[in-house]
Amino acid sequence: MITLTHFLVVSACIFCIGLYAILAKRNAIMILVGIELMINAAILNFVAFGKYDKLHYGGQIFALFAIVLAAAAVAVGLAIILNVYRHYKTINPDHITDLRD
Amino acid sequence: MSGLPYISPIYASIVVVGLPLLAFLLQAIRGKKSTSGLFALVSIALSTLISGLFVLPQVWQEAPVTATVHWFTIGDSVFTLGILLNNLSALMQFIVCIIALPVHIYSKAYMKGDPGIHRYWMYLSLFCFAMLGLTVSKNLFMMYVFWELVGIASYLLIGFWFTKEAAVAANKKAFIVNRIGDIGFLIGIAILFSLFSTLDLVDLFGNEGVFAAGLYKDTGLITLAGICFFLGAMAKSAQFPLHVWLPDAMEGPTSVSSLIHAATMVAAGVFLMASIFPLFNANVLLLMAIVGTITALSAAYFALCQYDIKKVLAFSTISQLGYMIAAVGIGVWDAAMFHLATHAFFKCLLFLCAGAVIHEMVHHKEHTKLDFDPQDLRHMGGLRQYMPKTFVLMSIASLALAGFPLTSGYLSKDAIIIAAFEWAAQHGPGYIVIPIILVIVSILTAFYIGRLIFKAFFGPIRIPQIDQQAPHIREAPQTMLVPMIFLGLGSLFFAFSLNPLSYHQAEILTGFSVRYAFEEIHSLHLVIPIVLTVGALCSWILAWKWYVKGKYPLQANSLWITRGGEQFGLDELYKKTFVNGTLALGRASQWCDKHVLDGLIVHGTAHVVKSLSRAIYWVDKHIVDGLVNTVADTTYYIGHLLRWVQNGRIQNYFGFAFTIILIGIVYLIFR
Amino acid sequence: MGLLSLLIFLPLAALLLIVLLPKTLQGTFKYIALGFTLFQFLLAGYMYSQFDGSATGINQLSGYRFVEQLSWIRLDLGGLGQLEIDYLIGADGISLPLLLLSSLVMLMAVGASWNMQRKAKGYFALLMLLNMAVMGIFSALDFFLFYIFYEVMLFPLYFLIGIWGGVNREYAAIKFFIYTLFGSVFMLLIIVGLYFSVTNPETGAHTFNMLYMMNPGNYIDGSFFAYGSSNAVWGIPARMLGFIVLFIAFAIKIPIVPLHTWLPDAHVEAPTPVSIILAGILLKIGGYGIIRVCMSIFPDASASANWWLGLIGVISILYGALNALAQKDFKRTIAYSSVSHMGFVLLGLASLTAEGVSGAMFQMISHGFLSASLFFLVGVIYDRVHDRYIYHFRGLANIMPKYTGYVAIAFFASLGLPGFSAFIGEAFVIIGTFNAESVGTGIPRWMAIAGSLGILLSAVYFLWTLQRMFFGKTRLKGSEEWFKALKDLTVREQVILFPALALALLLGTMPFLVFDKLNASVLNLVTLITEQL
Repeated sequence: MITLTHFLVVSACIFCIGLYAILAKRNAIMILVGIELMINAAILNFVAFGKYDKLHYGGQIFALFAIVLAAAAVAVGLAIILNVYRHYKTINPDHITDLRD
Repeated sequence: MSGLPYISPIYASIVVVGLPLLAFLLQAIRGKKSTSGLFALVSIALSTLISGLFVLPQVWQEAPVTATVHWFTIGDSVFTLGILLNNLSALMQFIVCIIALPVHIYSKAYMKGDPGIHRYWMYLSLFCFAMLGLTVSKNLFMMYVFWELVGIASYLLIGFWFTKEAAVAANKKAFIVNRIGDIGFLIGIAILFSLFSTLDLVDLFGNEGVFAAGLYKDTGLITLAGICFFLGAMAKSAQFPLHVWLPDAMEGPTSVSSLIHAATMVAAGVFLMASIFPLFNANVLLLMAIVGTITALSAAYFALCQYDIKKVLAFSTISQLGYMIAAVGIGVWDAAMFHLATHAFFKCLLFLCAGAVIHEMVHHKEHTKLDFDPQDLRHMGGLRQYMPKTFVLMSIASLALAGFPLTSGYLSKDAIIIAAFEWAAQHGPGYIVIPIILVIVSILTAFYIGRLIFKAFFGPIRIPQIDQQAPHIREAPQTMLVPMIFLGLGSLFFAFSLNPLSYHQAEILTGFSVRYAFEEIHSLHLVIPIVLTVGALCSWILAWKWYVKGKYPLQANSLWITRGGEQFGLDELYKKTFVNGTLALGRASQWCDKHVLDGLIVHGTAHVVKSLSRAIYWVDKHIVDGLVNTVADTTYYIGHLLRWVQNGRIQNYFGFAFTIILIGIVYLIFR
Repeated sequence: MGLLSLLIFLPLAALLLIVLLPKTLQGTFKYIALGFTLFQFLLAGYMYSQFDGSATGINQLSGYRFVEQLSWIRLDLGGLGQLEIDYLIGADGISLPLLLLSSLVMLMAVGASWNMQRKAKGYFALLMLLNMAVMGIFSALDFFLFYIFYEVMLFPLYFLIGIWGGVNREYAAIKFFIYTLFGSVFMLLIIVGLYFSVTNPETGAHTFNMLYMMNPGNYIDGSFFAYGSSNAVWGIPARMLGFIVLFIAFAIKIPIVPLHTWLPDAHVEAPTPVSIILAGILLKIGGYGIIRVCMSIFPDASASANWWLGLIGVISILYGALNALAQKDFKRTIAYSSVSHMGFVLLGLASLTAEGVSGAMFQMISHGFLSASLFFLVGVIYDRVHDRYIYHFRGLANIMPKYTGYVAIAFFASLGLPGFSAFIGEAFVIIGTFNAESVGTGIPRWMAIAGSLGILLSAVYFLWTLQRMFFGKTRLKGSEEWFKALKDLTVREQVILFPALALALLLGTMPFLVFDKLNASVLNLVTLITEQL
């Protein structure tokens, strides 16, 4: 029997993997992927908790919203990365430190 | 004086004083354009005329005539301008005129061709104005004004050749020494003013004045006043030890020396003493007698040791002035005035003759282009054959100076010496020293003037490079001779007294009719003239042997003579003590100003203030500001520490954000 | 607007005109200044001729002439009462001669600045400001007004010395400024103290009116400066303290030894016209202040302190003269001679006799234009060769006869030759001082005798300078170049010098021109003080 707990554990795992990707990867694309992973972990949670809202399917609907938003975010993110690449000739975030004071 | 219109002697005497002033102003305005001296000559001639015709005859033996106008008021005290004409002042005014006139005429020839002649006439007129004004001043304040004005005229005339270093040093010396006397005069005035609140000569010393009426207490202050006035007279009349300026004053033109430094200005001291005679009490009079005697003796000795013809005469003047002061000191101021009058003539003549000689010597010097001192007696000799008239005139004057019978000097000198013996007999045995010294001085006088005549006019000709056939030394011109002859006549007895052997008939003495405080001793009136005449004759025989026959027994460079020539180093002593002392004091006060007042106090204060402000600045910087800075620095350091957080790495930001959220969650969980 | 106000504020109009005109009209500034000062001089002369000598001045407003009184500041201070400051001016026998003198000296100074090219606008503007302040000081009768003018005077002088001066000008300007300020700051304290001690008898309010301060009846009982009060600071009675402080403030200006060291520096570094003003007017402010303020407001203190005043006077006379003797700079010699001659003023004032005080006043007036002429004469030679070292000149009489003539006359006039004004001043100071012991004012006779030594010394240093620089064979340090540069006096220079020296002669022969205006005021002053003896 797959319980809610399994979903949550998997979701937590995915979140952690995403977090790790964000913090540790040296490639902006990979960070974007990490972000996607974290969003997906959240979507998984939405779907999993959706079982308590059988009447309106709020969870599923939110999941759909989130997927659409994530897609949009990825599109924007990729566009930014593309511009960053054009500007800096790299997408290693370690080398882009212009935000430093 | 019938036939002459009557002119008030007051106005006449104002004209007498005013004319030279007018001449001075005109000459000052015309400047270089007028070199003839016409103004000066005409003015003094008119002054002489008016003084002789309208002032002296109307005042002589009459009651004093006075006139006073208000001058100014200070507080409650009124100061006046006034003219006082009595026997004394009218006589003195006339003497000044009658001496000044020949000197003016003489100057016309003597000063001919001098580039500064316009100044000469200007100064001479100024002098005449001041001197004539001095004689008739009614109050002491006015007299002081003229007293200083004659001083300035004398200053200007001594330094007439201002490119000569010696001349400008001499005129400075003359003025400053005279200033010492002037200070005395001023203090004297202050004393009298503070005692009697008036300076009027009539109010003070007139017949009904304070002193005649005995309305005063003979306090120490009166003595001090007497000494102060005497100090003034000492400087002006060149009394020891303030006589040092007079020999130096010979740097001026000889005509000036004859008028100012022999006949008139230097006699002003004696005149002053006579004018204020009642002021002096016994102590001051004794002091005057002593100072006068010392002066007479020392100057006669110094005169012996001089080689400069003018210096001999200068010391002779000092010596004779000593006589006059001594005469005032023993109370016979009428005799002093008598001697002043006779001395004025013969001493003026001596100087004019000397001037004529020097004039020719200079002429010779310029012609031969040799470098010798034209005034040095050692370069003269035998001048008798070149300048016979000058020789005769100078001899007459010399005889008068020596007090030889038939001359005017005989009368006046006897008057003084006899009175001195009578005075000494009255006072006691110790006082006899003074008349004896006066006799000795009289014989010395005969000797040194004999020496001068013999050295200059007799003996071998010592003039360098003289051409015996065509000498450049000639008799003085007419313009110079006429005034000299006039003065020569004035040096003989008949100018003053019809009796050549007794001074008692002298008009001047009878005119003053002073009552002496001592008794007449008749025997003296016979003995003294004989002693003096014999003494003079003996000294001349000796001088003849020494200087004409060349049997000179002494070493010319013996210490007594060379040191005497330098007045035993008196000048040197003054220079070392007073002059250098004053200069040192000046330097000391400058040092004090620079280093103590300015250096120590002002700059010291400034330094202290500056140091204090530096210290405060240090405190401000390190303590007050330090505290503020510490706070700022700490903040800054902390900020610096946190700064690395903002490293621009997007992932780190994520990490921090996440950590903080995590901490937040942990906090929420465990709170 | 009265005549006196016109006299004071005329220069202000000139100042405005100069400031408003553009710099391109630089050449006209001197004409403006000359025009206004000339008018001012004529006005002062007219006032002088109109002044009647019977006005007693000093402590009675009725004794003043040309009086103007306007309420100026009225402020209710609540518990402290009413603040009363008047615009009160007037002239008496003491101040009017000095006003005339100041306008004359100003005229001379403007004449002496004829060739001033550098920053002419500022220069003439400051000169006019100074002129106004000086006139104000001599006419103010309200202490507050007096103080304002006194301080205003400082400011233009500082810049005139500091900008247009010689090599060492900053040092001299600062020294001068600090010295004067040192005195005047403490003066302010005394003014405030007096203010709280004195009331206007009409309104009962505290007042700055100097004439009220001179009347013992106007002092509040028990106030700090009340007569006979037992107040003391460091053991010095309050009134004596007030006198001393005010005396120091003015004594710096006179100046007295040992507060004189600003003077040689300021004179030497200042440009010629400013030296003329300093010597001719500024020093007189000291003497005037002592008469008007110290002696009149504190007659009791001055009656008991006059021995010390006399002593200081004597020391100044002798010390200044000795210093003058030791100087090698022509201008410094003249500067120190000022110290010496102003010592006579103090001595005369201390004597508290009519003769002495009149002599002191006369000496101030005479020294005013004589020292101005002397500094002008120094300026003549400095203009030509930029050197005034005495040893660098010799025999100037040969190449500059007119100049030598003027110098000789000015020297002899200064050393007290009869016929010139300084003689009258000095002689009466000596006579008055000598008389003091008979009158019983406490000045011993030896002071008069010591003072007269100063007359002797003045002859010494003047004659020495004359001998050293002007007589003898001509030898100059700058040889040929100097020979060419040392031209005799120009007409302009003679026009400036002649009136001053003629005036010295005029006053020397006709001293009544001054004494007649002076007498009543001096007698009143002497009575005021001797009452307290």
